[in-house]
Amino acid sequence: MLQDVFNAVVLGSIYLLFALGMALAWGTIGVLNFAHGVTFMFSAFAAHLVADRVALPAPLIVVLAAAMGALISCLVQALVFQSILRRARNPRAAEMQILIAGIGVAVIPLAIAQRLTNGAPFGFGSAAEQAQVYQVGGLRLTTMALVVIVVGLGLGVGLAWWLKASKRGLALRSIGVDPETASLMGANRTSLALGTMAVAGALAGLAGALLTYQLGAISAETGDVLLIKAFAAIVLGGLGSQAGVIAGAYFIAIAETFVIVNNWGTWADAVSFGLIFLMLLVRPQGLFGRREVRRT
Amino acid sequence: MTAVHATTKPEVPVLEVRDLAVHFGGVKAVDGLSFSLTAGKIFGVLGPNGSGKSTMLAAVTRLVRLTRGELLFGGEPYHHEPPRAMAGLGIARTFQTVRLLEDRTVRENVLLATDDHLIRGRAARRAVAERVDQAIERVGLTKVRRLRPTELSYGMQRRVEIARAIAMNPRLLLLDEPTAGMNRQEREDISALMRGLQAEGLTQLIIEHDVQMMVDTCDHLFAMTTGKLIAEGEPRAVVRHPAVQEAYLGSRHGRGHARA
Amino acid sequence: MSDWYAANIVLVQSTMTTLLLALSIQLPLRVGVFSFAGVGCYGIGGYAAAICMIRLEMTTWPSIAVGTLLAGAASFLLGLLIQRLNGLYLGMATIAFTLIIAILAVNGGSLTGGAAGLFGALGDLTTGSILAVTLVVVVVFALSETGGLGRRVDAVREDPELAAAMGVDVSRYRRMSFLVSGLVGGLSGALTILLRSSITPAEVNFQLVVLALTVIVVGGFRSWAGALIGSVIFVWLPKALDFVGEWETVVYGVIVVLAALYLPGGVLGLAADLYHRLRSGRRGGETDDEKGAGGADAGPGAVAGREFDQLAVPGEGR
Repeated sequence: MLQDVFNAVVLGSIYLLFALGMALAWGTIGVLNFAHGVTFMFSAFAAHLVADRVALPAPLIVVLAAAMGALISCLVQALVFQSILRRARNPRAAEMQILIAGIGVAVIPLAIAQRLTNGAPFGFGSAAEQAQVYQVGGLRLTTMALVVIVVGLGLGVGLAWWLKASKRGLALRSIGVDPETASLMGANRTSLALGTMAVAGALAGLAGALLTYQLGAISAETGDVLLIKAFAAIVLGGLGSQAGVIAGAYFIAIAETFVIVNNWGTWADAVSFGLIFLMLLVRPQGLFGRREVRRT
Repeated sequence: MTAVHATTKPEVPVLEVRDLAVHFGGVKAVDGLSFSLTAGKIFGVLGPNGSGKSTMLAAVTRLVRLTRGELLFGGEPYHHEPPRAMAGLGIARTFQTVRLLEDRTVRENVLLATDDHLIRGRAARRAVAERVDQAIERVGLTKVRRLRPTELSYGMQRRVEIARAIAMNPRLLLLDEPTAGMNRQEREDISALMRGLQAEGLTQLIIEHDVQMMVDTCDHLFAMTTGKLIAEGEPRAVVRHPAVQEAYLGSRHGRGHARA
Repeated sequence: MSDWYAANIVLVQSTMTTLLLALSIQLPLRVGVFSFAGVGCYGIGGYAAAICMIRLEMTTWPSIAVGTLLAGAASFLLGLLIQRLNGLYLGMATIAFTLIIAILAVNGGSLTGGAAGLFGALGDLTTGSILAVTLVVVVVFALSETGGLGRRVDAVREDPELAAAMGVDVSRYRRMSFLVSGLVGGLSGALTILLRSSITPAEVNFQLVVLALTVIVVGGFRSWAGALIGSVIFVWLPKALDFVGEWETVVYGVIVVLAALYLPGGVLGLAADLYHRLRSGRRGGETDDEKGAGGADAGPGAVAGREFDQLAVPGEGR
């Protein structure tokens, strides 16, 4: 039982790490990035390629993956999303084109990774074996699981606090609420957006490296599944609320673990899809979300 | 016959608004507005920005929820009808911003006004096509009817909007700042067009900032501030009314000053 | 010719079923509803038709009819449920719907064959009959794009409030788009599965959503012709792309991104723009004259066609 709770918390922290970047970009600059999943995967994959050739300490690999994520995310923003935003007729059209372009972008790194790995899972080689296992009162813990929890929660809370308290965070949030006011406040939308995407991408890369360590190996398609889970977490918590994302991620993980523990494993994925549905019907603004002030 | 008509039946106003209120949260955009529009006249609404003019128009066309009040068209209450019922009643409007289909030609945009489901048969179709072409002719866009709105100037785009509203064959035409962004000649042309429509018996309500145009064009003016009516009546009298001078012209003076 | 036909019959058939799937995703987009439920309906239609044939021992066309109608009904109900959601939320809810269909199939026990799926549902289908059905659908779609209906659909997508002011029942159009999208998606699924004789839950996945979307984005989302162009491109491209071999999917991705960036109307939109420019260009001289002359021939009471040249200053008349 205790072990199940612990496992759920680890799972929730992974969902959270993944969802944080996505929620940040969507909640502030309004970009729902469907390439977030492959950013996550490809950063880990790039780190795997490096780790295969040079033996690097784990923290360095994680930093490398985060940098790779930031790079991919910035490239996508600068080359694709930015020019869609520039040209789009209205916000609704832009929203849709960004989603579609994100799906298109996602195909490319996925295909490259699938081709290079021949569909086999990849990891960081011997590094995975360094993970130490502790037994604490019947609870089986690994170093990596603890790192995932600490980093996930730490970044989640830290980001939420930063957005609330810091001046830049405030400017960023005001873009999400009202772009016009934000530009009056002197916030430069383009560079703020690029910065946001860099942070979102770094978070994806970080999540990719940590999950690879945690599981030992991931496959090229791992990002796709997490994308829907992260969406569910954001919808559950409420767009624009970082605290909501934290709650949403853990809620989904706990619900899924509950389903799996009761041997309804084939229904596990239905939990997040069902929750998306239910939440959108009952309370579209999510648990903690602000009301959408949008007219149709 | 006419005499009997006039004596036995007091004229029912085209539109009657009774104690209309629209509140957004704590903001009272429109608060206790009553007026009526008699048939065949041109009415104007004056008021500074944020005085509730556009909200009033949105309420009259059922685009916003009424907090309170009643709306009657031809004596029949209609404030429970959905927005799409306005076309059937005979209420046509233009919008404050240009709202045209970018990928459709001018003519197709105007045709949209006549696209109800019931047009069957050749004769009916031809009648509709004629109505549309007439509307385009009246706003002077016949030569550009095959171009798309994006290929036209802003003033011309606004005229497409007016043509679309006219083509709906309405009993009441609501114009939300129809001459914004037009030059003086274009404004005078719109003014002449409105009087032409009036000669055919069309009742019109116009929201405008251009006081001179309102005085020249309208038969009857309403002046609004903060969601309430402060004066109404003969245009020149309304413009000279102290409360109106204070609320509307006063602020305009201030702006003129700042520019100089 | 007949040699070519025999060699490519599978591609010809799959062009048509892909077209149907693309149309089921395209229709909601045309009405401004961001729905991917058509792919879930493809799964419903496919499974229902296969179950009818295998478990109920029905013949081919009744099975297809059951699959189509069931998918239509499911989609219509989904539409009633979620029509109030807007934009991306609706899109994600419909993706969730699609993926839930796959999970239901996995957990359907002997009825759906679980994770292994269903086998042996080979229908008695000729290319001619598929073509006939596809043609009927295409004609209906083509009719919905012309005349007043086409304009109303455009208005509902571009500006629902304006459409309502013109007397259009916007939510009725949205509900109908769910129904028709479900029917066509179900038809596509039923035809595909009975041609192929098997279906597995893994087929009803996000990749199928991506494929359908790709077809429309590249071909053009405004018209059935765009869906046809896209279907032809993506069904036949693998043959043409033999030289890139295993990098084929990368090329797909690049094509989609380029289309999303530079061809918001797809290949068809590009063609339509060029055509319009050509047509109005031919009359360009006349148009310019009219603008310059200030519409001297306009009738009394009419507004002259004059180029907008200066910004009006509010109240300058006084």
